[in-house]
Amino acid sequence: MSRLKTRHYVEAAFWLVLVVFFFAYSFEFNKDIEIYKYGATLWPRTILFLIALAAIGQLLDQRKNGDKAASNTMAAAHEEPEFSDEHSGLAWYISTFLLLCIPFVYMNLPEKIISGMSIPEDGSGRIKIICAAVLFIIYVIMAWRNMVGGILALPIFFAAVLQDFGFYAMAPFFIIGIMLLMGERRGGRIVLIMPFIYGLILLFFVSLLYVGLPTGNVTPFYNFGNWIVTLLQ
Amino acid sequence: METLNNFLTGTATLFGDPVGILIFFGGVVGGMLFGAIPGVSMLTLAAILLPFTAHLSAEHGIMLFSVIYCTGVYGGAITAILFNIPGAPENAPTAFDGYPMTLDGRAGKAVGAAVMCSAIGGVVSCIIMMFATAPIAGWAISAFGPPEIFALVFFGLAVAASVGAKTFWKGWLSIMAGLMIAVVGLDPVGGIERYNFDMPYLAAGIHFIPTILGFFAVSEIFVQAERKATGAYKAPKLSVDFPTFKELWLHKIAVVRSIIIGFFCGILPGIGATLAAFMGYNEAARWSKDRMAFGTGKIEGVISSETANNSATGAAMIPLLALGLPGGALTAMMVGVFQMHDMEPGPLVFINSPELVWVVFSAMFFANVSILLVGFLEAKTIVNLLRIPFQFLAPMILLLATVGSYAVRGLVIDVVVMFVAGVAGFFLRRSGYSVAGIVLGLILGKIGEQTFAQAMQMLHFEFSGFLTRPIAFGLLFAGFVTIGGSVYGAFFKTKNTADTDKQAT
Repeated sequence: MSRLKTRHYVEAAFWLVLVVFFFAYSFEFNKDIEIYKYGATLWPRTILFLIALAAIGQLLDQRKNGDKAASNTMAAAHEEPEFSDEHSGLAWYISTFLLLCIPFVYMNLPEKIISGMSIPEDGSGRIKIICAAVLFIIYVIMAWRNMVGGILALPIFFAAVLQDFGFYAMAPFFIIGIMLLMGERRGGRIVLIMPFIYGLILLFFVSLLYVGLPTGNVTPFYNFGNWIVTLLQ
Repeated sequence: METLNNFLTGTATLFGDPVGILIFFGGVVGGMLFGAIPGVSMLTLAAILLPFTAHLSAEHGIMLFSVIYCTGVYGGAITAILFNIPGAPENAPTAFDGYPMTLDGRAGKAVGAAVMCSAIGGVVSCIIMMFATAPIAGWAISAFGPPEIFALVFFGLAVAASVGAKTFWKGWLSIMAGLMIAVVGLDPVGGIERYNFDMPYLAAGIHFIPTILGFFAVSEIFVQAERKATGAYKAPKLSVDFPTFKELWLHKIAVVRSIIIGFFCGILPGIGATLAAFMGYNEAARWSKDRMAFGTGKIEGVISSETANNSATGAAMIPLLALGLPGGALTAMMVGVFQMHDMEPGPLVFINSPELVWVVFSAMFFANVSILLVGFLEAKTIVNLLRIPFQFLAPMILLLATVGSYAVRGLVIDVVVMFVAGVAGFFLRRSGYSVAGIVLGLILGKIGEQTFAQAMQMLHFEFSGFLTRPIAFGLLFAGFVTIGGSVYGAFFKTKNTADTDKQAT
């Protein structure tokens, strides 16, 4: 009797779609190499074939055994997945997916607006600030209801704004954000710990090891970043 | 006798120069510290220090990197054991049993075992390196051509598929996913761009440092964050109760076996300490009477992995110094240091700069000895990091990882890649996949494809050519048997489980 669940089909479909997509894309670079008759595609296509084989094998295994799929591996016990209803339903996945889209929207939207509306260079910074602020508000509203999704998306959002707003200006907000999402609610602790972490990292890497971190390119964040660097070095 | 004299001369040069002493101890402390701070690694330190080595002499520059290499590989075990964040890929198998030991209140035992075994593995490997660099390098290069190295990569991946993931299928898929990530970028034979999706960043391939940081450090933060949100978070228990000599003596065979495996993997260019650690761990489990208890907190798992990876550090210097072939990321940076000083690593180094070679050998020997001395002190201190509540540790680790990934090339996109890899790692781990397997695939993917292409060219594109090379054939056969055994075992067990379920109902 089949013990397959929707999750198993989704897992198999994920791998097989990946295989089909990458196989189709491999024709883009299917060129001859004079000294190597297999070309540039043999290796990736072999891997894709093996992925398809393993995905089908896994599905057959799960068909017989369901979640108790046979294993003779030395699995790390602490890696056992813990599914809770709250963090494994379709609604959670959709909400998390949307949260994860926010940083990528920021990475594309300001440029599109600037080029679409022919905004001069000195006004581009303002557009970036407005876009970041609006997207951040959307992020906060969504993350409030989905803390785990929020914690997955916040670091990517932080990385997405680093180029424009710099490490020095954004890091304090990032530290506070992670602490809040991790469940810390004591304001006093947050106020004390944030400057400690921020200061420690800047002193060690910027002051001692002269590591150049992104200063940003939007005023006043750029000025702030440079001011910190001058102060520390 | 000549070797001993050279060693003593190297030691005298190393410790007779105050600058040399300062650099040596700086390297020891720096390697241990960067290895043991979650989020950064010895590679971060090496990348930061690389430009500074232009101001040092060639001896000091190479010596600094070799010391960082030895102590950094050990330091990475600390984060693997305490936080389930391997400091480097070679420490990944250490986390399989080290972290459950921490959760079980036996962090001190695991760290103590790592200190002892890293030092033993490293020192023995250094001694062999000093006595036998030339003959071993000669043997390795004649016996191990591209077909053999490809066969070893295949065997290593086959072995690693049954480590870390929930099922054999997931282990295999994890490794294949890593191999696919390694495919992105230029093809190693014709230089054709693959899977770059018209993005300049992808044309050079996905850089492995941000990817590794993402899969190991960032995904662990996400996993713990989810556990906090669901109330399943277990704070690790603090303990500084180190293992007794008697406890370690019980595992002497595992130590010897791992030294041999580690040294053997280390001398092969491109294979290095990562595969050594996986194979050392797997062999320890294979020969154990209690195989399935591996992964639940067996000290033997930590011992085998840490002995093997440190044993590979000394051996990795053999292809670098004797043949000019780097075995991994850090040894590749050492080539950069050589080039900065208008030198090329290879056989001529032994003729033109013997003093450099012996200073490096002495420094590596004493770096491994200092793991034993400084490592215990450091471990006693660093175990106290467990006292810090996770909500304060998490932002620190994430920021350190940001600095670690950015510092290597100065690209913000590397930070984005790291966090995306972290999210991918989170979902894959949730579904029972092994991030360690992905990273192993990523690291061995390039060397695997390159040696396969070279092997096929050598064998005139005849697959049957592998049959005429006993070592290659033996390794391929062993790899197929391992995979076949896992598939057979999986289906055989399926039957048993199904029968048990039927009986239960």
